Amino acid sequence: MYLIDRYAYTNRLREVEPAQKASLAIVVLLLCLLLDHPSVGLLAVFWMWGITTFWAKVPNLVFGKILLAEGLFLLVAGLGIAFSINFAPQISPNWNWQIGWFWLSSNPLAVETALRAVFRAFGGAAAMNFLILTTPLVDQIDLLHRMRVPPLLIDLMTLIYRSIFILLASLERMYTAQDCRLGYSSFWRSMKSASLLGSRLFIEAYHRSQRLHLALESRGYTGDLVFLPHSYRHDQRFYLLGISVILSFIFARLWL
Amino acid sequence: MGEKKLWLRWTRIGLFSFCLFILTTQVTWAKPVAMHIMEGYLPLSWCLFWFVLALPFWLFGFWRVQKITQKPEKRLLLGLCGAFVFVLSALKMPSVTGSSSHPTGTGLGAILFGPATMSVLGTIVLLFQALLIAHGGLTTLGANAFSMAIVGPCLAFALWHTLKDRLPQQIVVFLAAALADLATYVVTATQLALAYPDPVGGFWAAWLKFATIFALTQIPLAISEGILTVLIFNALQSDAAVDLQLLGVSS
Repeated sequence: MYLIDRYAYTNRLREVEPAQKASLAIVVLLLCLLLDHPSVGLLAVFWMWGITTFWAKVPNLVFGKILLAEGLFLLVAGLGIAFSINFAPQISPNWNWQIGWFWLSSNPLAVETALRAVFRAFGGAAAMNFLILTTPLVDQIDLLHRMRVPPLLIDLMTLIYRSIFILLASLERMYTAQDCRLGYSSFWRSMKSASLLGSRLFIEAYHRSQRLHLALESRGYTGDLVFLPHSYRHDQRFYLLGISVILSFIFARLWL
Repeated sequence: MGEKKLWLRWTRIGLFSFCLFILTTQVTWAKPVAMHIMEGYLPLSWCLFWFVLALPFWLFGFWRVQKITQKPEKRLLLGLCGAFVFVLSALKMPSVTGSSSHPTGTGLGAILFGPATMSVLGTIVLLFQALLIAHGGLTTLGANAFSMAIVGPCLAFALWHTLKDRLPQQIVVFLAAALADLATYVVTATQLALAYPDPVGGFWAAWLKFATIFALTQIPLAISEGILTVLIFNALQSDAAVDLQLLGVSS
């Protein structure tokens, strides 16, 4: 969690207009879903990985780690598509395995569907990783604000984002304090400690909101949080990049 | 011909051992985390379908939140509560399988803030989980929100509301939190099965398959979270009774 946030603020594309970065990521994401072909997914991973590591200078290891973060879900769900469990062997010869009293079966079509879903998911995840590793959440919220999302939602998002790290810091402090005193040495003890931690955290969140209200009210708060927008630079190369990405996808879909 | 058979046989053995490997890692790691559908995993039509299905709940939730936040301090309170729900998923709780896991907070959130508020807060939390920890996704936000921010909290709140005067409170809180998690898991299995029906057995076979695969992690999660929520709720009632009354949770 700190990992993504840190690189979002320190990468080389931080100053680039978030609308440009977001539209590139969303175009890639939608094309992955629309064209729906393993080669497109693979190509999306390469493009997004390349831009994030070569242009934005995010380390390779970070991008790969985040891409594999949900690998387990993907593998399990992919296997779920590829194999089916039955009480009798299925028609496709050589694709049946008997385990105890049931049969595990598969067929080329199911494997193809599974591969398609897995590559599409990897492509989509790569596009999202590009966005979140190059654009801090404050910029994304600012973008939503410019896209006329209701101010109430913008305020809620801003408040949530800004208080997450404060609450996390106190969660870690309390956890360390409990852990030093053997608070997590057995199942029930850990349950008790975790519940104390959770309830204390709620109380802290509650009191912090009251203190925040006092602080804001004494500075003339009337119901809307107003922030100065950041100034960004437009990068013409992004348009070129977008066009070449789209063309390469269409090329891959048609000829591969 | 013989060569081809040998090839097939080795592919089969390879696939089978790979399958076994995945299953054993699932069992031994068994680190139950909430089941978010990954970015890009659902086809476009199903993404749109779940967004459309979630839309009325979001609109209703937004309307309710707008009414609550007439007073500016309530807006700050809701913001901090949303952060609390997010941070709750970073809390380490012991799991009945022996390792540790993280609660989803849907049950507790629904009891404390009500399902309408949770539909908005929960969706923002899911969006942030996608954007800050790459867990979940943007195109699958509709599907994930429908299972975790709408169905789970609605069930938890309905159970809490109908049973709180009839059964001992601890049992009601346990049921609400555990069944909210189970409902989330059942809905996610349904979403996966609808998008990828089994080529032989159709929807139900696929549903059974996904439900079995994810049961290994999701049922322990539901039990642990149920226990944890009861303990948190007890602690809150003894330490923060006044705050709870202000939120509208009568003890």
